[in-house]
Formats: sequence, structure tokens, C-alpha cells
Amino acid sequence: MDTTDLTTAQAGSKTIATTTKTVLREAGIGIALIALIIVFSFTPHFLSSSNVTNILTQVTINLVLSIGMTFVILIGGIDLSVGSVLSFCAVVAGTVMTLPGLDPAVAVFLATISAIVAGIGFGLLNGLISAWWAIPSFIVTLGTLNIARGAALQVTNASTIYSFPAAFNAFGSQTFYGIPLLFLIALVLVAIGWFVLTKTVFGRVLYGIGNNEEAARLAGHNVFFYKVAAFTICGVLVGIGAIIYMARLNIASPIIGIGFELNAIAAVIIGGTSLSGGRGSIVGTLLGACIIGVLANGLILLGLSDFMRQMITGFVIILAVILDKYRERLTKA
Amino acid sequence: MKFARLIAASVLAGTLAMPAASYAADKPVVGLVMKSLANEFFKNMLEGAKAHEAKRGDYTLKAVGMQSETDVETQINAIESFITQKVDAIVVAPSDSRALVPPIKRAVDAGITVVNFDVALDDKAKQEAGLKLAFVGPDNREGAKMAGDALAKKLGAGAKVVIIEGNPGADNAAQRKLGFMDSVTAGKLDLLDSRTAHWETEEANTVFSNMLTAHPDIQGVMAANDSMVLGVVKAIEAAGKTGKIEVVGFDNIPAVQPLLKEKKLLATVDQFGQLMAANAIDKALGVVAGGKPLEGWVKTDIKLVTSDDVK
Amino acid sequence: MAGAAAPAPAGAAPVIELSGVKKRFGGVVALNGVSFSLRPGEVHALVGENGAGKSTLIKILCGIIQRDAGSITLGGETYDPHTPGDAKKAGIQVVHQEFNLLPYLSVAENICFEDMPRKAFGMVDYPTLYAKARKALDAIGLGDVDVRRPVESLGVAHRQLVEIARALMGESRILILDEPTATLTARETERLFQIIAALKAKGVAVVFVSHHLNEVFSICDRVTVLRNGESVMTADIAGTTTDQLVTNMVGRQLAAAMATARDLDTGGRTALSLRNLRHPASPHAEGVSFDLHYGEILGIAGLVGSGRTELLRSIFAADLPLSGTIERDGQPRRYRNPKQAIRDGIGFVTEDRKEEGLILGMAIAANVTLASLRKVSRLGLLDKREETRLTRALGDEIRLKYGDTADAVSTLSGGNQQKVVLAKWLANNPKILLLDEPTRGVDVGAKAEIYALLRGLSEKGLALLIVSSELPELITLSDRILVMSKHRIAGEVARADFSEERILNFAYKDERNHGHH
Repeated sequence: MDTTDLTTAQAGSKTIATTTKTVLREAGIGIALIALIIVFSFTPHFLSSSNVTNILTQVTINLVLSIGMTFVILIGGIDLSVGSVLSFCAVVAGTVMTLPGLDPAVAVFLATISAIVAGIGFGLLNGLISAWWAIPSFIVTLGTLNIARGAALQVTNASTIYSFPAAFNAFGSQTFYGIPLLFLIALVLVAIGWFVLTKTVFGRVLYGIGNNEEAARLAGHNVFFYKVAAFTICGVLVGIGAIIYMARLNIASPIIGIGFELNAIAAVIIGGTSLSGGRGSIVGTLLGACIIGVLANGLILLGLSDFMRQMITGFVIILAVILDKYRERLTKA
Repeated sequence: MKFARLIAASVLAGTLAMPAASYAADKPVVGLVMKSLANEFFKNMLEGAKAHEAKRGDYTLKAVGMQSETDVETQINAIESFITQKVDAIVVAPSDSRALVPPIKRAVDAGITVVNFDVALDDKAKQEAGLKLAFVGPDNREGAKMAGDALAKKLGAGAKVVIIEGNPGADNAAQRKLGFMDSVTAGKLDLLDSRTAHWETEEANTVFSNMLTAHPDIQGVMAANDSMVLGVVKAIEAAGKTGKIEVVGFDNIPAVQPLLKEKKLLATVDQFGQLMAANAIDKALGVVAGGKPLEGWVKTDIKLVTSDDVK
Repeated sequence: MAGAAAPAPAGAAPVIELSGVKKRFGGVVALNGVSFSLRPGEVHALVGENGAGKSTLIKILCGIIQRDAGSITLGGETYDPHTPGDAKKAGIQVVHQEFNLLPYLSVAENICFEDMPRKAFGMVDYPTLYAKARKALDAIGLGDVDVRRPVESLGVAHRQLVEIARALMGESRILILDEPTATLTARETERLFQIIAALKAKGVAVVFVSHHLNEVFSICDRVTVLRNGESVMTADIAGTTTDQLVTNMVGRQLAAAMATARDLDTGGRTALSLRNLRHPASPHAEGVSFDLHYGEILGIAGLVGSGRTELLRSIFAADLPLSGTIERDGQPRRYRNPKQAIRDGIGFVTEDRKEEGLILGMAIAANVTLASLRKVSRLGLLDKREETRLTRALGDEIRLKYGDTADAVSTLSGGNQQKVVLAKWLANNPKILLLDEPTRGVDVGAKAEIYALLRGLSEKGLALLIVSSELPELITLSDRILVMSKHRIAGEVARADFSEERILNFAYKDERNHGHH
């Protein structure tokens, strides 16, 4: 073996060490999730297949929204409008789906497209306004939160849309070996998100902008484009989330989705993504969303009161972020 | 860019500036303080009131709604601005049975006729503030008991049931829960669990799915409103227990009509919300015109709705 | 001059004495036995390459971290600070290299932040606050700065002086200055030295940390050299030579690279030609005009605030110029953003590598390829193998010392971080490199390497435009020096005529003819 090979081998082992560190970071959240599952498995029914189906169903919408939220938070932004925009997308899609005289398949297809288009519209609005005028996205999306909610109420005149095609309704409750079809769709979205963030130039630059916007700009990257793109991606996922909501509950209404943004933000943060941007991963987000879902389910099975449940959920969010701080130190040393 | 900012600023300023109100001097002005207009129930109620205004034609209606169910601030501000505008009567559906007592007291002291409808103000709070005010509205507890009794009758004594509550702290949620509890006692039902889903479909779906896991033998559900019924029925379908679990609700919203028809919903309660505000306005105008002041609880109609009522 | 104050008597009892101080961070030994003492009224230089342990030692002295072993006695008693507050109470004041100012508060509020004058009910007593701050600023000769101004609006040099004023607010027995002159011009440095002399006369012991050995020789009484966490030498300045210090610092004879003269003709083709280029901050319309040739190193000298950085930023379209023209290879260009400048073969090593040059939390490889992602990707997909290969190849070329290409760039020393910034641009095969303070915060060894690297680039035909506050640096590197003053070219000095005096004359030209613009 010549020296070149030797150095390559050494470098290789170092890469493995770094990879191990990265895996450890995510494993931390995974361990928290497993610990939670172990604790709850002492309650009857928790590990039953129907309950697992339940948890996965309940995690799905938040997971889809959290994927989009991860993109936005990675560039140092935040999107408070997702809950309201979901409601707007749902009522638009619901209106399309219940148009008289449409073939059910066509109606569902057009509704899906229109929900995504509506989501893209609001994503573009959020991104363009905050990037062009350099307004903190916190404020911009607080504005669009109200705009979308108002628009949803306006479109429906505050009424609930119901009676979607039977096939669509059935599609929402479809399972494969106990795994809800809707959750599988969310997993595909997770995989796409992971791929985009880790394997593409686009993802790399997104992380770069989140870490140091000025350095990225001076390295020739169009910061404006990436910011708008992150919000637009979030909008697409909100549109998909709206369709998933409708498939699951068979209604669309202008008052749904209240507080969804906070759950999505919580999942992303619990998943180890830094609120100041530049650090985090989709896999972490997946685990974060699962932690929230498992907690909500397990605490009810434990028979805790609603008020205790709310308090414990709050504690867990804070605890997760504290643990993340320690994990950060651990992997740095 | 600067120009665009300027436009934005002036638009904002324009929105904030309150338009000066001017009313025809001869017609009495009624200020209507509503709850969340995002809620179909209150939106219908407001439309009923507007239709009523057009029909009577002898008064001017000024209505204010809230952003959300729990937005007490907006209601207090609305009452205070009605006092400033010197309206003749205020008709209010309080979002909080205690917090609204002081501003209502101020309105009464300013010589305005106030009618409290939909949710009754807290008796103790009224006493402490020295406020005497009648309540015009349905008996939520009685309504919930009607729905609960229908469930008890269908299932029989000893049946295992759960309650899905409305917002903790909301008076109508508390009253409806009491009504359901009355039915539980009277019908000797076995209450397994009672949890809030904050009036919301998705949350009711999640909460009820989880309840069903914890108690697979649930036979009946009492939901405090029909939005939550939608989520509960979907959870029953997902669990493959359609027909094995009976559901009752409250409010009789359009979206539950197909469920009643398919017998997925046993019964719901109609409190004729559309007429409620209009009735209260009638009562208020009667007093303004020199009629006798209202006293105690002026109950409005409620009705149990079952599949028989849906054609 | 500083030397005017009486040197500290050699026999006086030390104010502070350190012996065998050790500190490790995990597996890394930061300090491995440091001993030195400080006499009242002396200026004691602490020198050493980056990573030698100076920062760690200062952090221990001011209570930010605690030592693992060794003793420190302050005025005869054991000194063991656990918080920066302890250190301040003991009379030890520090001016850190990285500023600790609150940018949106006023100068006065910053200076008095630790001890705000109060009125009843805890309200701030502004008249007293302003008076105290005024006094503190006047004491260090900053009479021209309004204490009500927000710190944000001050230049780097002024911020440094505000830091010093703030440190001097407390009762100080020992003042530690960590790289105080790194951002100062010659004139500002001179002012600082006068302040140090005054403090010295009052009996304050000053620890002076600097990379500039000439400064060490001009104002210090004694010097301690740190190398690899150990104190390897302490001596009176009077009996020491530069060579001795450098030898002790690097542990080997420094290549003569720093002193080599160079002999290049500047007659290459014109790479870049500016005519009346005006930055938005420029007060007058005439702007800046000059030609930069291939194979040439053109130095830009000038005081802080003379528009040097702004000039580079407007060429690179980091800030869009107000007016004027840029010609690249004789073709007119109007760059709308840095991307277009980069595509046109220009690279820009910024002044502040942490804020503008690097993405500290990200891998070395990611930083190196940040401006050339198209080269390491296909159809938008990253080719990480190619990225690693490119990073290793460039790393070898610029003699980068690193563990793994996937390590965060923040784990590197200042000199190596700066090399990563260079590698980022070299990855793009640029034709023109703009460099703003290319060796700021870089130790002596790495400096020499960077000089050699820059020379090598110009020999390959690259056109280099270098802004620097260190005149010796410009004199060593440049073929020609343009001197800027108030956003215009005040003069040009050819290599044959290089001298600090000549350059400074141009730099101060406008300052002297004050009052007619």
C-alpha cells in the first residue's frame, strides 16, 4: 500500500467519525422517542395495532406541515400562517370538489391541484414580501395568517363544506398492514425533503443562507430566490396537508387548522432544528412530529386530565430543547 | 420601493381611522355584540338579525363580531364604543360570563337598555357589581339533557358512554356538560371518560380515536357541538365501528344533516340560533319603546332533532 | 512617546504572578504550564502564534473560564475568579478582541453599562450618564465623538476606543488589551499608545497582546512568548531582538519570505479598469479611477473610513455603485449582483471573514465549494466525492492544516480559516482577486504562507487588488500602491518610491486641508 492510499484510508475513517457524530445527533431525538414509547407501553392498548394506526394517522398532518416548516426555519424564517392557509386551501379544494356535475375522479384531481396552487400563492406572498422588503417573516406571516383566515371565511361565508366523493373519503381511511395510506404519503414527502436538503445544491445553499446570509450572497447566491423558494415549498406542503385533512375528516371549513403552526414549529424544534436557522434536518423533524403524536396519544391512554396533558406537553417541548443543548455540547467535544 | 411603503402606510392609517358614525335621528340604534362570526352558528344568527332589521325597518342595527371564540377584548371594546356612540340598546352574547359584567354595568349606568342573550352572565358577578339584568336565551343544560336522554333511551341503563366537551371555561360548554351528566345520572349510564376537544373537528377526531383505544367498549358519545360530531363519526368509521356506537350532538348545523339521514348521528339539538338574536332585539326594542323591563330568565325555544326530522 | 514614562523597577513586588497554569478542553491541551508576572506600572507584551494559548490565558485571568492547575496570586493572595464580575472587582479589566458592545445603545450607555447612574425609582440619570461618558472619552482623547450617538453608527476603530473607555471606567490595577491595534490606523494606534503611557504612569499594569512586533518594541517594557500553551521566554524588551521573538514564537527560523523584494513588471494586459466609480457612501461624484493589470499586485492604503472597503464592494457589486464605469478586459460591464461579478472571474476576500467570508458552522468542504457549486454538481445534485477531491486538492495547494474536509470550519485557527476563504475563490479559477485585510487576525507563520501564496497567484497571471491597514504588508506585497483618502485616490506610489512616510503623507493629505469640501 502506498502513502496516498494510507491518507485516503485515514481520511475515510475520519469521515466515518463525523458521520457517527451526525447520526448521534439524530439518535438523541430517536432515543427520546423510544423512551417515551417504552414508558407508554406499560399502559394497556398502547402498542395494539389499531392504536399504532391511530397515532400514525394523527401524526400525518402535522408531519406534512413540519416538513415545509423545516425549510422555512432552516433559512432563519418562520411561517405562522400555515394553519390559516391550510384552512384556505381546504375550502378552495372543498369548493372545487363539490362543484356540481363533475366526475368524482376529475373533481378530486382538480381539488388537489387547486389546494396546492392556493398554498403556493400564499407561500409566494410570504416569501416575496419578507424577502423584498426585508421584513421579519414573523410579522409577514402574522399578517397572512389573518388574510388567509379571512379569505377562507369569505369564500365559504363561514360555512362548512361536506359530502365529498365516497372514493375520496375511503381513500382517507385506507391502510396497508395497519399503516395509514396518508402516513405513507407523508413519508414519501419526508424522503423527498431529506433528498433535497442533503443531496442537492439547492439544499446546500439553503443551509448556507441560514447560517450566514451575507457570506452566501457574496459567494454569488441569489438569497432572494432561495428565501422565496423556501416559503413556496412550505406553501406546497400546506396545500397537500389540506387535502390530507379533507381525506381524513371528510369536511373542509374556514375554522379548521387553528394552532397548527405552533404544533409544526414544535415538531421542527424538538427535532433539533435551530430556530435561528442553518442547522437541522428533516429526519429530526419526522422524529419530532412522532414525539408530539405519541405524547398526545399516550397521555390520553394514561387517563390524565386534559389540563395535566397540556402541562406535560409543554414541559416535554422545553425538555427536548434543553436536551438538544446538551447533545450539541456532547457532539462538539 | 419607498413609494410602495408610503402607500402601505397610508392604507394602514386609513384602516385604523374609525369612520365617524351617523345615524338617522328618528330610528333607535341597536348595538349587537356577537361571538365569533367564523362560527357558522353565530354567522347564521347574525344573518337572522339582519333579515329581522330589514323586515321591521324601524331600527338601525350595528353588529360587531369577534375573531375567535375566546376573544373577550374585542367584545369589551365593542360595548365601550357603543356607549360612546350613545346607542339606544345593546344586545350582547357574552364570550365570558364574568369579564363582561363591568362594561355592561357601565352601559346600563349610561342609560342604555341592555339585553343579555345566548350565554347568561354569572349571577354572582352580577350581584357583586350591583347589576340587575335579565337573560334571554335557551337552556343549554336542558338541551343537552334532551340529547343525552335520547342516547340513554336508545342504549338502555348501564351503557358505556363518553363526553366530548367544548372549551373549558366557556359557560355553554359547562352547561352542556351538566346536561349530559344529568342524563348519565337519570339514565344510569356508565360514564367512562370526559374530555375537551375545544369545539374542533380534527381535535375531536384525535381525542375520540384515543378514547376508543383506551375504552374499546364505548357504546355512546355525547359531543357538545356538531363540529366535534363530524370528527367523532369519522373516528368511528376509521375504527370500523359504524352502527355500533351511537352519537348525539348539539347545534344542528347543515353538515350533520347527511349523518342524521344515514343514522350515523342519533340526535342533535336545535336552539333556533337564527332567531335568537332577533328575538333578543325585539325584547330590547320593547323596553326602549317604554315597555316593562325584563326580569329573570326569558327562555327561548329548543328542539331535539333526529333522523325523523330530516327528509 | 510611551517610552517617556519611567520603566517599572525590576525589584518591585509583582501585582499578579502566575505559575504553572494549565488548562485542557476535553482532549485538547490549551495551556500546559504558563508562568509570568506583572509589575506595577509596566507594559508587558504577550506574544505567540494563534493557538499558542493567549486567548485561553486571558479568559482565565478575567474569570470566563477556570484553570485546571497552577497558581495565580494577586497582590499576594490567591486569585481564583469564577465570573467576569469577580475579575472586575479585583481590578482586572479586559478589552477583548471581539467587541462586546451593544450596537443599538448610545456610546454613553455602553460606557456606563455596568454601573448606570440612577435617580429615584431606578430611572437612569442621563445628565450624569452623559457627563461620566464624556469624561471617559475625553480621557482617551476621543473629544470628537458625541456620547449620545448609537455605537452602531461608529466605525470599527472608534468602537475599539469606546471599549477601552468602558474598561477604564472601573478601578483598574491591571488592564488587558487583546489585539487592540488590529483594526486601528497608524494615527489611532499612536493615540492608543499615549493612553497606555498615561495609565502606566498611574501605576496600572498593562498586558498588551499583539501580532505586531514593532508595536511590542515601541511601547512594552517586558515580553513573554507563548508557544503551544507554554511560556517559553520572558525578557526585558531592551535586551531582545525581533529575530529572537519570532524564533521563540514559531520554534523555527521563519522563512525569509516576508522580506523578499520582488521584481515584476506591471506591463501585463489591463484586467480591470475603473473610471469614476462611486460608492453610495462617497461624498463626491468624481469617484475612483485606475487600471489593474494581469500579474500585478496593486495595494490600496488609506485610513479607516477612507473608502477602501467600499471601493472593493462596489467593484464586486456587493454594494451597487452610484455611478462610473467598470471595464473588464476592455469590455464595459455593469454587474447587478456578486453572482455576475463571480461569473466574470472576480473573487472577493472580505474584511470580516466571520461575518461575510465563511459559514462557520458548516464543513470545510462546503465552504470551499460555496462559490463554485456548479463545478461539484450535476443537474442540481451534489457530487460529494468530487467536492471532497476538490477541497483536498486546494487544501494541499494552499497548505491548509485540517483534520477532515467534513469538519466545521469553526474548528480551524484564524490563519487556516483565512486560507479556506482563499480556497473558496481559487476553486472558481478567478482572474481577479479583491482582498480586504487578507491577514487580519492571522499569526506570523500563516501570514508568511499567505504572502507566498498571493505572490504565487500573481506570478500565475492573476490580478490582485489588496486593501490593508498594515503598511509593511502592502510594501512587502505590492507592485504599486494607491493611497485613498475620503473616497478618492489621493496618490499613487511606485515600488521604487515605497516608504511608510510617503504613503502616510498622501493618506493624511485631506485631513490637513480640512474644511473645504
